[in-house]
Amino acid sequence: MSGLKFPVTGIGIISACGNNINETLISFQSLKRNGKKVSLFDSKIDCPVFEVNLKTSYKNMRTLDLALEAVKQAVEESKLLEVRENYRIGVCIGTTIASQLNDINFYREYRKSGEAPIDSVNRYLNSNLADAISKYYNFDGPKCTVANACSSGTDAIGIGLSWLKADMCDIVICGGADELNIVPLSGFFSLGVMSDELCKPFDKNRKGLNLGEGAGIIVIEKEEISKKRNMKSKFYVNGYGLSCDAYHLTAPRPDGSGLSKAILKALEEAEIKPEDISFINAHGTSTIDNDKTEGLVFKNLFGGKIDFLSTKGYTGHTLGAAGGIEAVFTILGLKEGWIPASIGFENIDETIGLEPTRERREVKGKYALSTSLAFGGNNSALIFSRE
Amino acid sequence: MSSTNEEKLKEIKTKLKELLVSHLNLTNIKPSEIKDDEILFGQGLGLDSLDAVEVVVLLQRHFGVKVKDMNEGQKIFYSIDTLARYILENIDNK
Amino acid sequence: MNVKGVGILFNRGKGIEKLENSLLKGFALPENGYYKISQELFCDELILKNMRRADDFSKLVAIAAIDAFKDAQLDETDKEDLGIIFATSFGPHPTTFKFLDDIISFGEKEASPTTFSHSVHNAAVSYVSNLIQNRGPTITITQFVESFYQALILAKSWLTEKRCKNILVGAADQYGEVMNYICNKKLKLAKDGKIKPFSFKKNPDVVPGEGAVFLLISSEEPVKYCKIEIGSDTKKDFVDLCIVDTDGMSGNEEFYLSLKEKYPLFASYTPIFGSMLTSMAFSLVTGILMLKNQKTYSVPVEENPHNIPLCNKTESKGINSIACIKYNCEGKQMKILLSKQ
Repeated sequence: MSGLKFPVTGIGIISACGNNINETLISFQSLKRNGKKVSLFDSKIDCPVFEVNLKTSYKNMRTLDLALEAVKQAVEESKLLEVRENYRIGVCIGTTIASQLNDINFYREYRKSGEAPIDSVNRYLNSNLADAISKYYNFDGPKCTVANACSSGTDAIGIGLSWLKADMCDIVICGGADELNIVPLSGFFSLGVMSDELCKPFDKNRKGLNLGEGAGIIVIEKEEISKKRNMKSKFYVNGYGLSCDAYHLTAPRPDGSGLSKAILKALEEAEIKPEDISFINAHGTSTIDNDKTEGLVFKNLFGGKIDFLSTKGYTGHTLGAAGGIEAVFTILGLKEGWIPASIGFENIDETIGLEPTRERREVKGKYALSTSLAFGGNNSALIFSRE
Repeated sequence: MSSTNEEKLKEIKTKLKELLVSHLNLTNIKPSEIKDDEILFGQGLGLDSLDAVEVVVLLQRHFGVKVKDMNEGQKIFYSIDTLARYILENIDNK
Repeated sequence: MNVKGVGILFNRGKGIEKLENSLLKGFALPENGYYKISQELFCDELILKNMRRADDFSKLVAIAAIDAFKDAQLDETDKEDLGIIFATSFGPHPTTFKFLDDIISFGEKEASPTTFSHSVHNAAVSYVSNLIQNRGPTITITQFVESFYQALILAKSWLTEKRCKNILVGAADQYGEVMNYICNKKLKLAKDGKIKPFSFKKNPDVVPGEGAVFLLISSEEPVKYCKIEIGSDTKKDFVDLCIVDTDGMSGNEEFYLSLKEKYPLFASYTPIFGSMLTSMAFSLVTGILMLKNQKTYSVPVEENPHNIPLCNKTESKGINSIACIKYNCEGKQMKILLSKQ
């Protein structure tokens, strides 16, 4: 089903660079980076991470609390509460941490004595993101928590699109959320892909990623529904592509053919050509492999002159939240008419041969692309547009 | 090389072969069948990038040896021989 | 949605023939208190040759998925852009705990990166993609008791929007030591080792299990096994049999009492597989087998305090349609309809 476009009627964001849209834009303008050693839990790993200054707790798993902060902003903007009984409202959210039984304090206690308080298990059982959000607002519609590693947020939005096209629901709340946790902190460190300094996406001297946390949520709906309820929007989701590398558990296919396939599929759905894309919000984790692969694909598909950036210099790599957060950033770029510097970048990597935005750049065209790559070889791409 | 060092190197190689087989789940080969000059990555044992970082962790855990610069990795991890020698050098330097 | 292939790995073995043998043999008590998959069942040499460092969860998923893929015998062109949708309630939790073991025993900087890589829910499906060299869309979802049902909703969406023509849709869950501790705390484990699917109690008995089921679903003819309908499509007034997916794992089962007058015959086969939040996949595959073979199988546990009409005969029988129903603990019904044509 090509050529369909779905209005974005609400957005919400929380990350280390801001607890809402206004704070985020200020961080982008002031080039603020909040990376430092983790303080949320004890750790011997000194590498910088990007923590959220979360002011409200609903006593759930932290990931759900983060998600609810972003969902609230999006639901308020889209005025969904006024109409929730009239429409089928689906919820599709990506995550990694909230999908796992991974509380180290519970397990340490259990390992020591064979007994442990079940509180954290109960919190986990009550924190399936799609289920909890749907219940919180009493929505009636499909629900799905996506566990596709680092492309979960992007894929959750893609699933929302599929639901709308197949008439499974009328409106979808979708995106991603994740919290900082010792499991990925230790895991990425052991994989040798974590940097001991602030990350430098696409830079010649990049040493790896920094972890982050947060949530990015958008509300999308059928065009006729948004018109019917007087929620006209100038911003749309136009296409989604998803492919698998079938190559390696953790490394991307070096020729980028998986990512290319996903991007081409999204372009096909949006019925546009590569030259119609005005900028790309890249996955840009600052690892050697990811940035090299993405750079190669951007060069091959878009030529040497495409404006692109990684926003992970502002937020860290937020894992399951990344696709949701970056969808919001992409829409903001179209809305505000500018994209920030790809912070952390200084020196061009000749093996990539492209450089991201060094400073704030005006957005001139109509369409923008957001890409995500994940463990297991998933590649996802979303296309957004403005009128 | 002194005979003590030669003995140590032999012990390291034996332990290394056992660790590689057990921790990397190399089910189609026994430790005693791995030659000292067996190439570890690509050909030979056919290990990959995920195995490489696993080996880094094994060196830390079982020999107390850190690989400081992964760019040196290709030389260090070339064969059982080169890896064992690296371990021996760095155990002595502690 | 047409079912063209079926794959299964559970306590009693692998494959649809093993499933039929188990249905014919009937109820068997679990060893060690739960329906475990023994290590010898992971011995599929062809598959496991390429999975040397995979954990048991990935092996479980790969074996069932490849079983379904081979069963479907797709043409080369049909294999292009094959989609994979995998659902799990708890994912590879034993692997996550193994990683936490590493952190506790060796420190955060010396935990195994291989173990970490397998602790993500979607690692299992990446092995499936590698084995069949599939480059199509691949998703892993987790929705507790609704996991498999939501996977089918997504499959239907992808087929409707023509993202794929063929999709491997599956579900899997593992049991383990820590899960056993949690289940002992939160559920009522059956003292006699028997799930009683027709007790329809507020606090039903549980006997945990583990396993994986995959279906290869297609938008194209011919129909090899049966058709599947879900959601608003399931308006068929008459079905021959209702399979209730009751195994105690999702809590309150009193809601099923409301079905008593609605269907002519009831069955449940959860005592063959064990209790899992993804049990709907296993109940469904039993219905698929019955439609293919045009045969009913006697229910493995016949305790029936509410006197509902039970399928207690194994016999050849003309069956046109089967409803598979599950309620979550809040009384929300999930219904899947299987039909011959």
